[in-house]
Order: sequence, then C-alpha cells, then structure tokens
Amino acid sequence: MRESGAGYLLFGLVFLSGVLVTIDFSTRLLDPLRGGIATIVSPFYVVAESPYFLSGAIGDVLSTRDQLQRRNEQLQDEILSLSQMAQQAISLRAENDRLRALLGSQSRLSDEVLIAELVGVVPDPNRFQIIVNKGSLDGVQNGQAVIDAQGLFGQVVEVSRSTSRVLLLVDRNHAVPVRINRNGVRSIAGGTGDVDGLVLENVPTSADIVPGDLVETSGLGGRFPPGYPVGEVESVLVEPTSSYAQVRLRPTALIDRSRHVLIIFSSTPWEGEPQVSGSIASDAPAAGPDTEPGVSP
Amino acid sequence: MSGARGGWLIAISVVVAMLLSIVHLPEDWPRWMGWLRPNWLLLVLFFWVLEVPHRVGLVAMWCVGLFVDVLTADPIGLNGAVLATITYIGWQFFERLRMYSVVQQGLIVFVLATAAEVAQVMVLDFGSDHPWAWSLLLSPLMTMLVWPFVFLLLLRLRTGVRVE
Repeated sequence: MRESGAGYLLFGLVFLSGVLVTIDFSTRLLDPLRGGIATIVSPFYVVAESPYFLSGAIGDVLSTRDQLQRRNEQLQDEILSLSQMAQQAISLRAENDRLRALLGSQSRLSDEVLIAELVGVVPDPNRFQIIVNKGSLDGVQNGQAVIDAQGLFGQVVEVSRSTSRVLLLVDRNHAVPVRINRNGVRSIAGGTGDVDGLVLENVPTSADIVPGDLVETSGLGGRFPPGYPVGEVESVLVEPTSSYAQVRLRPTALIDRSRHVLIIFSSTPWEGEPQVSGSIASDAPAAGPDTEPGVSP
Repeated sequence: MSGARGGWLIAISVVVAMLLSIVHLPEDWPRWMGWLRPNWLLLVLFFWVLEVPHRVGLVAMWCVGLFVDVLTADPIGLNGAVLATITYIGWQFFERLRMYSVVQQGLIVFVLATAAEVAQVMVLDFGSDHPWAWSLLLSPLMTMLVWPFVFLLLLRLRTGVRVE
C-alpha cells in the first residue's frame, strides 16, 4: 500500500530538503525553526556532557585539603593582582572619558556580561561550536560576542530557550575585525580549523606586524565590542612571490579548555573608528588601502 | 496499525543513536579521533528497516533528520534527505538484504555510509570551504566495523521485546 507512492514521497521530501538547505544557507529565515528545535533537543547535550560533569564533580569531592588550600592561595594572589589592575582601570577610564570629552566624542560605556557554562560540544572535528546554558530566556540574542577569562572566544549563532550555540573564533567559517594593539594596524582574523591557530587575512607585506604583537578586536562591523584581546602574533612569513604576508596568531582564549564563558551585552553597538586614529595614520602608513575595504561592514 | 508493538524500542534506539552521535571525546585526546565516529543513526535505521520495514516511515525519518540537523549544526534538511533516502533504499531491497550474511550487509552499510558522507560534504561545499580528504572514509569504515555488533545487539533486543 505504501510502495505505490513511496517514490514520489521520497522525491518530495528530498526536494523539500533541498529548498530548506538553500534557504538556510542564504538567509536567516529558518533561525526561529532552528531555535524551536534546539529547545527540544538541548537536553541531549546535557546528557551527552554528563560524564564530564560527573568526573568534574567527583574530582571536586575527592580533592585533598592540601590541594584546596594551594588553590585558594593561588586565587587569593590572583585577586590581589587583578584588584590592583582594576583600581588602575578605574582611574584610567575616568581619564579616558575626560580626554574623549575634550575631543568631543562619545564616551565608551562599559559592557555588561552574562556568565554562561559550557553544556555541550559539537563533536565534528571540522567544526568548532559549543553549547552554553544561557538562552533567550536570559536575553541572549544571535550575534552576541562571547569571551572567556583570557580573551575573545566566539559569537552566538543560534539561540534556543535555555541554551545557545557559540561559534568559536578558530572555526573555519569565523572571522573577526581586529587591530594590532601596538599601532592600530587593522586586519581581519580568520579561523583556520586548528584549535590554536588564527590567520590575519590580506596583510600587505609592508605592514608593521612583528611576532609578539597583541591583536585585539577593533569594533569595526559593530558585531564585536572593541578592545578585547583576540590573539598574539606567532609568526610573520613574507614570501617574495606573494603580495600578502602570512601572519599566524595564537588565540589568547583557552579555546578547548574554558568551561565558563561570558556573553557580552554590548552597550555601544557601534562605536566607529577608534579615536586614537590620528596618531596611527602617521605611525603606520603600511596599514594601507588593502585592509580598508575588507573591514568596512 | 493493529498488532504494532515494541515501537518504543525503535524510538529509544534512535534516541540513543542521536546521543552517541553528539558525545564528544575528552579535550586532551587527539582531534583526529573525532573522524572515527561511526554513523550510529545510519546503523540503527538500517537495522530496523531491514527487520521491520513497515514500522519505519519516510516522513518520520525525515523529521528525525531535522533534529539531527540541529544537534550536529548541519543546514536544516540535510540529514532528513539522507535518512529518508536510506529508508527508501531499505524498503526496496529488504527481502534481498535480509538473506545476506552480516559481513555482506556490512559492505552495504559501508557503501551507504560513504554515500551519505559524500552527499553531506557536497552540500556543505556550497556553503563553505570544507576540504575533501581521505579522512572522509574513516567514519564509513568504522560504521562498517561496528555493524555486526549493533546488528547482534539490536537483534537480541528485538526478539526479546518481540517488535512486530
């Protein structure tokens, strides 16, 4: 009874799949559907991740008094040094605001963050995506930047009610507008599909970039708030035959180890050009026309 | 459908297969081991469509595919098409496939898994620059090697529960 129409039914389903895949690739129309399904299947991730939760919990229970004490001391030290930095940051922020006011530009607001915990990992070795335990109920939206304690981590690409999916910045499909912290040279940092590798794209061979430079988000494009560390330049390779330098970065975030991340609620969605650019222009003419069009949103 | 029983076993095995397809290895294990993951869903589906083809529906499998798409972050519709096609192939040939030995069935599973993998990479190629590589064949190979065990396990469960 089923056999008669099965071929047509299969054809219809495959055709429907083709249409859906095409829509999904080219638009964001299916995001609500995806979010709805994700709401239903998010418990799967919790179950799949539970062995790691359990082993972590058992490790906590079984850790000795000694270890705890040592850890405690470590954290105390860390708090001290961080609070010293925070004190400086307060006065620097005030000074920065004053200077910005003098320049007549809008003052930089601080970003609010939401702490989220990792509840799942997409196991495909081609893909770097994680699931975190905050969703639309907590106000998370598509496109929000995610950081961990060390630096930029990725961005939210799918939101369900109580979880959301984060695309990590080392994924092959991820790119983020950045600038060199030292001189403001702008570029775009793309993922390589390696857990510890990013590349700066289309960097002219004459650009002033040396190994050890800190690379931070530039805020251009409006998706990532400016000023978060992205990576450290690992190597700069200039080949005579190529018109671009190959710049490799090591991400500062602990891409494969962080279990707690911060989702940023940016208070300044678009800050525009960093205001120090006056000095940069003379400093780094080599930033060149090449980086400019790539960066504009 | 009168006389239908044991549907819950089919459902549970599909759910377990979906779970197995998202369990990830510890972070400090080498990353290439991720390529060795068998296509659990294909194994379970292949078993049921051989044993009780009338209990496995095209539309149902397509809907399962939607969930898998979201679980594994594939474009929506991709896994549905793959699962529905495998169901259809099973429907067409189940009488013959049942006669084969487990090893021969394993070879069929390998061909199906490879086809599914190739179809997925082809579709993903439109959207991004996923590279072609021989590592593509690792997962189908593992799927083939695991088939006898899945087959025997599910067969035992099936006769125990008497899924009709």
